[in-house]
Amino acid sequence: MIPLTSGKRLFFLVILLVLVLYVMRVTAFGRVGATPLEGTLVDTFAALEQVATQLGWGVRDVFGFPLSLVTAARRANELSERVARLEGELEQAKEYRLENERLKKLLDFKSGPAAASGLEVTAAAVVGRDPGNWFSTITINKGRAQGIRENMTVLTPRGLVGRVIATTDRTATVLLITDPRSAVSALIQDSRTPGLVEGSAGGAGSLHMIHIPNDLPVRPGQVVVTSGTGSIFAKGVPIGEIADVKRDPTGLFFEASVRPFVDFNRLEEVLVITGVRSPVP
Amino acid sequence: MLGLLVLPGFLSLALLLQVTVVDLLRVKGVVPDLIFLLVVFYSFWRGQREGAFWGFVAGLMKDFITGSYLGLNALSTGVAGYLVGWAESRLYKESSLVVMVITFLATLVSQLVYYLLLVYLEIKVPFGVALFQVVFPSAMYNALLVPLFYRKFYRLYLKGWFRTGQP
Repeated sequence: MIPLTSGKRLFFLVILLVLVLYVMRVTAFGRVGATPLEGTLVDTFAALEQVATQLGWGVRDVFGFPLSLVTAARRANELSERVARLEGELEQAKEYRLENERLKKLLDFKSGPAAASGLEVTAAAVVGRDPGNWFSTITINKGRAQGIRENMTVLTPRGLVGRVIATTDRTATVLLITDPRSAVSALIQDSRTPGLVEGSAGGAGSLHMIHIPNDLPVRPGQVVVTSGTGSIFAKGVPIGEIADVKRDPTGLFFEASVRPFVDFNRLEEVLVITGVRSPVP
Repeated sequence: MLGLLVLPGFLSLALLLQVTVVDLLRVKGVVPDLIFLLVVFYSFWRGQREGAFWGFVAGLMKDFITGSYLGLNALSTGVAGYLVGWAESRLYKESSLVVMVITFLATLVSQLVYYLLLVYLEIKVPFGVALFQVVFPSAMYNALLVPLFYRKFYRLYLKGWFRTGQP
């Protein structure tokens, strides 16, 4: 390495810092399309990710079963009875699994309320997660080649998951609604009171609904759905239910914490809304 | 020459595990950072210059996979590598306990730098949430994982696995 005087070194450091800070801003997730190099990198890596993720779930399943037996062993008198019951359940679970696989193939996930409301959906598997603790994004195994585009709504049969923020040929990145950068225009289902559902950092899966007008009562247990008006999200997708309500610091609005319907720590498959079918006459 | 590929190889493997199976180890909403652990170990053995360089590279790898804000992890991890490198000639390298403390402090600093960069990028995270739900828990989690890995990697290092041709 060429020896540098400390003055020159400092100069290069400052240049590097300014450059990195600039690149960081221009590569914020709203930018149009990734560079081809990035796309290829991400696609290649995604194939590996898919294998590793599946292995991970497999290992968890393998370890999960003996652990449940260890607990049972402590209560020795219950053990034999319990093992018998577990074995029975395991058999039953296997049945359910096989049935589930058959049905999945048959329906290709395209049944249920989404199809009934005329939405065209594509099923995708979750292959990766954001590596850090600040953001909540997932990588799915369908991309531009399967018709996935930026800003498409992503959901599961239970409720809203997020929206697509970036795509490559064979993968897409989904911004979860629990991410601090996410905001969803929402309504309280029964009273039609509007508000904005925001995520927060930490991956704990908590949601806050803010800017709720204080002229209508808001109660814990009420269901929150997407409003669809002027929003990139499809209309009427369930988000979660209100957990508790308080006035915001200005006193003009209510703010509420919302318990999401989707378990964001156990996402394995999601549906992407790719279009709306015109209703059959 | 082969030694030149060992660290990038381990970093790539750590990254692959990080975006896939590490998520299954989520506790209270945080996951440990395997890539960061590798950077801390290596910086502690090799000093500030290599620490900063490999911290930057490892962070950049993460940024590429995340696909946005290129440089965000690179800067915060590079700073951590530089600071850990300071301890290289000053602290005893055999002890996992020393590395646990270093890892805890390095994660704190690195995550605080990350938070400052989030402010610069205009991503709103309340400071209390950042400190108590991300920065402290992740520092704890990283430090707790050190005893599991450090001695094994140190033995590999002493055997010359990470030697890159420089004395």
